[in-house]
Amino acid sequence: MKYVYYPGCTLYTKARNLDACARKAAARVGFELTEMPSWNCCGAIYNTTTDDLAAQVGSVRNLAKASQLGEKLVTLCAACHNVLKRVDDRLHAQGNEVERDRLIAFVDEKFEHRVQVMHYLEVLKNDIGFDKVKEKVTKPLAGLKVASYYGCLMVRPREVLQFDDPENPQVMDDLMAALGAVPTPFDFKAECCGGYLVVNRRDVARTASKRILDNARARGAEAIVTTCPLCQYNVDKLRPGGDGAMPVFYFTQLLGLAVGLPVEELGFEYNAFDPKPFLAQKGLA
Amino acid sequence: MKQPEIADPKPPTYKNRPRVGVFVCHCGINIAGVVKIPELMERVTKWGDVAVVKDYKYTCSDPGQQMIRDAIKADRLDRIVVACCSPTLHETTFRNACAEAGLNPYLCEIANIREQCSWVTEDRDKATDKATEIVRTVLAKACADQPLESITVPINKRALVIGAGIAGIQSALDIANAGYEVVLVEKEPSIGGHMAQLSETFPTLDCSQCILTPRTVETGRHPKIKLLTYSEVESVSGYVGNFKVKIRQKARYVDFDACTGCGLCMEKCPGRAESSFERGMAKRKAIYRLLPQAVPNRPVIDAQSCMYLLKGKCGVCAKICPTQAIRYDDKDKFVEEEVGAIVMSTGYELFDAAGLGAYGVGTVPDVIDGLAFERLLSASGPTSGEVKRPSDGKTPKKVVFVQCAGSRDSTQGMPYCSKICCMYTAKQAILYRHRVHDGEATVCYIDVRTPGKGFEEFYRRATDDGIQYLRGKVSKIFRQGDKVVVWASDTLAGRKVELEADLVVLATAVVANPDGVALARKLKTQLDTHGFMTEAHPKLRPVETLTAGFFLAGCGQGPKDIPETVAQASAAAAKVLAMFGSTKLTHSPTVAVVDEDICVGCGNCERTCAYDAVKVDEQRGIAVVNAALCEGCGACAMSCPSGAMNHKNFTKKAIFDMADQF
Repeated sequence: MKYVYYPGCTLYTKARNLDACARKAAARVGFELTEMPSWNCCGAIYNTTTDDLAAQVGSVRNLAKASQLGEKLVTLCAACHNVLKRVDDRLHAQGNEVERDRLIAFVDEKFEHRVQVMHYLEVLKNDIGFDKVKEKVTKPLAGLKVASYYGCLMVRPREVLQFDDPENPQVMDDLMAALGAVPTPFDFKAECCGGYLVVNRRDVARTASKRILDNARARGAEAIVTTCPLCQYNVDKLRPGGDGAMPVFYFTQLLGLAVGLPVEELGFEYNAFDPKPFLAQKGLA
Repeated sequence: MKQPEIADPKPPTYKNRPRVGVFVCHCGINIAGVVKIPELMERVTKWGDVAVVKDYKYTCSDPGQQMIRDAIKADRLDRIVVACCSPTLHETTFRNACAEAGLNPYLCEIANIREQCSWVTEDRDKATDKATEIVRTVLAKACADQPLESITVPINKRALVIGAGIAGIQSALDIANAGYEVVLVEKEPSIGGHMAQLSETFPTLDCSQCILTPRTVETGRHPKIKLLTYSEVESVSGYVGNFKVKIRQKARYVDFDACTGCGLCMEKCPGRAESSFERGMAKRKAIYRLLPQAVPNRPVIDAQSCMYLLKGKCGVCAKICPTQAIRYDDKDKFVEEEVGAIVMSTGYELFDAAGLGAYGVGTVPDVIDGLAFERLLSASGPTSGEVKRPSDGKTPKKVVFVQCAGSRDSTQGMPYCSKICCMYTAKQAILYRHRVHDGEATVCYIDVRTPGKGFEEFYRRATDDGIQYLRGKVSKIFRQGDKVVVWASDTLAGRKVELEADLVVLATAVVANPDGVALARKLKTQLDTHGFMTEAHPKLRPVETLTAGFFLAGCGQGPKDIPETVAQASAAAAKVLAMFGSTKLTHSPTVAVVDEDICVGCGNCERTCAYDAVKVDEQRGIAVVNAALCEGCGACAMSCPSGAMNHKNFTKKAIFDMADQF
């Protein structure tokens, strides 16, 4: 199976560890990601309350370009996914034709057809199937108690994202179970990490992230797994847990580990809390 | 240009031309405000067969009906067309008026010029034209009508009541006390329903058990009530007045007659299972009864947890039983009952709050629903009426009550208001403060709704008692240490609130009992989108259904409190008794009829009929209609390839005549 892949800016900078093994893991699991040439910003950095148009135009071009390359557009960054999905929804919403025409007029690229915007997790769940993923696991993450943290962007707004229950999502937990880990339910799966407040109100972001980390630990988790670079940054790099910190993985890192990619290819050097000693202790690295 | 539709109809082909009276009703301004009545009457007068045209402001009134009766006699009318509202409203009224004047009522037809004519447009000319069309087509039908005689069927004056909660008990007692036999079917081993689980009842705080037990005992001992507990209705055939009901009596493994209810077996039984009566907060034995005051006071064995039935080991109950009442080889039995009327009182269940992901149901042990809290308050409950929380048995010092958990929530729960939760939450908070004097109770609400006698005063009592009411929806409930944290908001103060509680009680939505929904589907009684049974008319026929002979009582029809349930149950009983008061039931004669000379017995009609009213007589090779069962839907006439099947007064000729006029 072939997919058009949209990495987004963060996966080339702060979140290299999210992208690092995603493509190699995909090959092992049985699908192929072809990066879109000359992609541009999804628009997530624009404040939609001050400039709603700029926030959309970027994604309109990306969607148009993707439509020339394939049927399904795959994303990894939760913010990119959210913006692309919402723009796609607005482009095709009934009664929104005037806005659609205005938006499409901004870009040179022609729309061939409507592309299906999918998150990497949705590919694994719907197109591949977790039971197939399970068959590809060569190094089961046995005994790894991991809390799946989804954040806000992956699940909301529910009608548009149509990803999972926004209050109690399960997709990543199910993937972790397929990889042999022990998914640990906790109460802050979809609560706010503090988001961009880390820029000007670091204290607020730290409080919000600490709450997530503390609750996961109280539920018995030994590590957190996420799909959003901003969540990962706040919960991992902000070090909100102080001495009580724990590894905060991207789900692609654990997927790569389980399907047998070499540890040095998993981008652990970009994680603020070094997970290698923890994994060594678990006999996984 | 002359309007083609105003042209005169073809001259009828009858030997004796009918004399039709057309009566146009103004319905106040409902019709006359839009349809130009004088113009309509002028057009109608010109048509052949029309002997008289009259109008009146309210034809359904007594003078209006008198006008029709007088005209029938004075002008020797033999057909009547009333141009007025829908036939569902006043067809019977006018047909009765005709009958009083000596005219066969089935020669009276209604031309509805209100609902789909005057009500749907403001264009007076178009409305008048459409009214003309309607009257003319109905006139053609009236001319084709034949006089018919009502069909009468005998009534079996026995009633079936399905579900023995307080609604079913009340209906059964009312019918039985009037002297008629009742078969009362209950799926649980004993009667009383959810009311048996409650501690005290609002707004008077009388003990639920104390007011219920006299009723359950009376029901159990009533000579006219045949009580079938641990039983379920499998199927119903027949028709109003003459139903045949198949009932499955589940295997009890205890001989009902031999058992004395001494309870020795339950003391010694080593098998354990979660008690659904105690909402999963306690264990019961494998041989069990729901409660000590059970009616009938006979235990049953749960085959899923009995070691003897599962593995063939144990057998303690059989050894210890002083009357040798244990029957391990018991099987489900089927009994058939014949009844004339059926009361559906299948009741409610609470919404499964596991669907509310953010409320911690199933993951936080100290988040429970309203019925579970009733059990904690009840003297017969697992804690003997002392409030102790499920996780560690400690007395909770702070309790948060969450209203509208799944109610008034169209995204994750039910869009409707469950009606009883505001009151029972106030009651539970008051009772909690009675039991735990230094306890703090907080109620998170959206609105407090107290429409009922003494309800507002009761709610005031709760607020005066120091119970804190916070207006705002709860967004999240989770565990922190041994506390339960509730994220709520106080929209009056405009702030976010974080509450630390020892116990959280969710007032989860009231939903129709799933077993009742499944049964209603099987019996083809109408349900609304949420599974509640639909009444025949929301205002004027609140306890009847559209299926003749089926009546409604209790929460199966919609959420309601005990007084309202009892009132509805008595109303349903009154309807049953009104039916039993007459010796015979009349049935509309507008039913299917077979032309035996044409019918070849292909059986299309039999396969089409939704009411089992048509059967092919194998010996004669023709279809036979059971007129008492036929609802007159006309499906068989449509499916008949030879044209042998017809519908009285809706003959193919009548329909083509009507179409010709259009």
